[in-house]
Amino acid sequence: MDFDFSDDQEMLRDSVRKWVAKGYDAERRRRIVQAGGFSREAWRELADLGLTGLFVPEAHGGMGFGPTDAMVVMEELGRGLVLEPYAQGALVAGGVLSACAPQPAIDGWLGRIAGGDALVVLAHQERGARYRIAHVETAAKAAGDGWTLSGAKSVVPAGDQADAFIVPARVSGAVDDPAGIALFLVERRAAGVKTRGYGSADGARAAELSLADAPATLLVPAGGPGGGGHAALELAVDIGIAALCAEAVGAMEQLVAVTVEYMNTRKQFGVAIASFQALRHRIADVKMQLELARSMSYFATLKMNEPAAARRRALAQAKYQLGVSMRFVGQQCIQLHGGIGVTDEYIAGHYFKRLTVMELSFGDTLHQLGEVSDRMQDTAGVFA
Amino acid sequence: MDLNFTPEEQAFRQQIRSWVAEHLPKDISHKVHNALRLSKDDLQRWAKILGRQGWHGWAWPKQFGGPGWNAIQRHLFEEECALAGAPRVVPFGPVMVAPVIMAFGSPEQQRRHLPGIMSGDVWWSQGYSEPGSGSDLASLKCRAERRGDYYVVNGQKTWTTLGQYGDWIFCLVRTDSSGKPQTGISFLLIDMKSPGITVRPIITMDGEHEVNEVWFDNVEVPADNLVGEENKGWTYAKYLLAHERTNIADVNRSKRELERLKRIAKAENVYGDMRFRDEVAKLEVEIVALEMMVLRVLSAETSGKQSLDVAGLLKIRGSEIQQRLTELLMLAAGPYSVPFIHDAMEAGWQGDHVGAAYCAPLAATYFNVRKTTIYGGSNEVQRNIVAQTVLG
Repeated sequence: MDFDFSDDQEMLRDSVRKWVAKGYDAERRRRIVQAGGFSREAWRELADLGLTGLFVPEAHGGMGFGPTDAMVVMEELGRGLVLEPYAQGALVAGGVLSACAPQPAIDGWLGRIAGGDALVVLAHQERGARYRIAHVETAAKAAGDGWTLSGAKSVVPAGDQADAFIVPARVSGAVDDPAGIALFLVERRAAGVKTRGYGSADGARAAELSLADAPATLLVPAGGPGGGGHAALELAVDIGIAALCAEAVGAMEQLVAVTVEYMNTRKQFGVAIASFQALRHRIADVKMQLELARSMSYFATLKMNEPAAARRRALAQAKYQLGVSMRFVGQQCIQLHGGIGVTDEYIAGHYFKRLTVMELSFGDTLHQLGEVSDRMQDTAGVFA
Repeated sequence: MDLNFTPEEQAFRQQIRSWVAEHLPKDISHKVHNALRLSKDDLQRWAKILGRQGWHGWAWPKQFGGPGWNAIQRHLFEEECALAGAPRVVPFGPVMVAPVIMAFGSPEQQRRHLPGIMSGDVWWSQGYSEPGSGSDLASLKCRAERRGDYYVVNGQKTWTTLGQYGDWIFCLVRTDSSGKPQTGISFLLIDMKSPGITVRPIITMDGEHEVNEVWFDNVEVPADNLVGEENKGWTYAKYLLAHERTNIADVNRSKRELERLKRIAKAENVYGDMRFRDEVAKLEVEIVALEMMVLRVLSAETSGKQSLDVAGLLKIRGSEIQQRLTELLMLAAGPYSVPFIHDAMEAGWQGDHVGAAYCAPLAATYFNVRKTTIYGGSNEVQRNIVAQTVLG
């Protein structure tokens, strides 16, 4: 048992932190938000650091790193409120393709993902599904050697900027039958693919995706219960959750640091507001939620290589804790600032908005509580 | 980073598990698993069994007769004991006063007191709180005046847990009133059989006699029983607080109790009720998060690479979880938590239970555990401490 980071991981952290500090300051971030919420240039810079290939095997031009390395990167990107969908385009895409895809897809895409030339994101959200990932209406039809997909996906990260999508679609079964789900790859520029982009609540970019007999490459065929496309989709979502937990820890840590500095400098009644016990107890509660969140982010990351059932249970637990923590830390840090906290000019509100969107991504807190509740065993604890 | 214990640590755990399975008396673990009343004999029997193995002071270094385990080994030992249903070791001797005697006591004090603490033969109590000095402990007034080779002690201590069994008591006493309150306090070891000491019970709202008032009326204490230097007692007391490690969170017992909660909720047909079950699920996550925090501290202590100052957080969260557990246990039994039959909380009671036997102590335990957010530095004091570390 060991929760220290290796020297290599500390170096990785340093390099991301330096890039964020120098290359992604508040002014640049504001310009990216105003320009629509995504910068290909920034994505290119992440690729130049080698980060887009984090999960891509070295044979395909990546770094072949693991979950802890991803956590380190995500914490720093969270601290810097980076808008580009790194968790999706690098970790989910790189992780799922290298773990599950057939050789031609691996040869065709992994190198381009690692090099930053292709942005591939998961497009799984459907209108009637809420957070139930087995709910898939998008239909897949066999067409000659390949497949075509028809349907619609929502809130796809940087969807109108991406080069391709990982799309769960139904080959058989009822609308919520996990056994009938396969994973496909669809290129944005293919026939029958339309996107409608918009800004998201945190200043980043998302899009609606519609597919009308769009040509698709099969990545993972539908399988029996717990196998095939649905299992791969669960893996994709869990990679996303683990990444998001780490990102949230970085974001909360920075928001708390900003808040502490404000409390120590802002004066009312002739003294720093940090001297008031009501506020001191509030910041202690904030610190509690931050440390619980960090603990569960570690837990999520360190359970990523467990068998699927144990991994799923752990990731649901982690996302539940993170949801509770993100909401509390976000709300209280705004409150501790008073009026300045609700302005657009000040940074705290931007952290608050990012934390809010993260709670709503990959299953909100109530949804995760249900997952935890459904998966409870007789035993309890970290090693249960 | 690695979540798993090493093969050596797992082997160590297995060794402890086998030993506890062999040596922990079944009648005692039955009481612990069912929250039934533990007698002085139960507690002392287990202390002496541990003592014979040299484990009553399981956190002690080898030079004082302890096993010299590292933080992870200590944690595994505590966890195996808790899960097997061992009673909580009464901490005042082996966990609280012993480290102070080791660090600041004279060789004579070490020779005289440590063996009896390790063996479990000598029962120690703690004399810190006073009626006027709770959270503001440094304001304590119990006076010790030096007269030749003796201190003469006058005053009152309170909340003395299990003080009715105490052979010795370690006290913070006032030896100087001239300067800051903290600079006039001394750490004194007092034989409870000394003339002038009176122990009076305080009955808590669960109807139990667990805590006491201890009165000192011209009690003569040999000056040799002063630990360290006069007026340095506050420093030693703070050292002791810093010495209390992760067991302050008591997460191992909370895991055991969560499993019990699930069993009782199933038996009472409330586990399938989504509203109740979700409350259990919340607690399950809270316990995993607390355990992860404890493991992070252990890792930091073992590797020495990072420092983690989260003792206040562990106390706050650990105590909140213990309270929530007893609350949900009581709610699980619902109306069958209402009957309050004193004898039914005793093992082997032959009377007719109202509802299942496990229902009998649930309300009493819930009442009792309200103490956890108050003792050991109330959770509000802990928040002050946490805020201090966050805000600087």
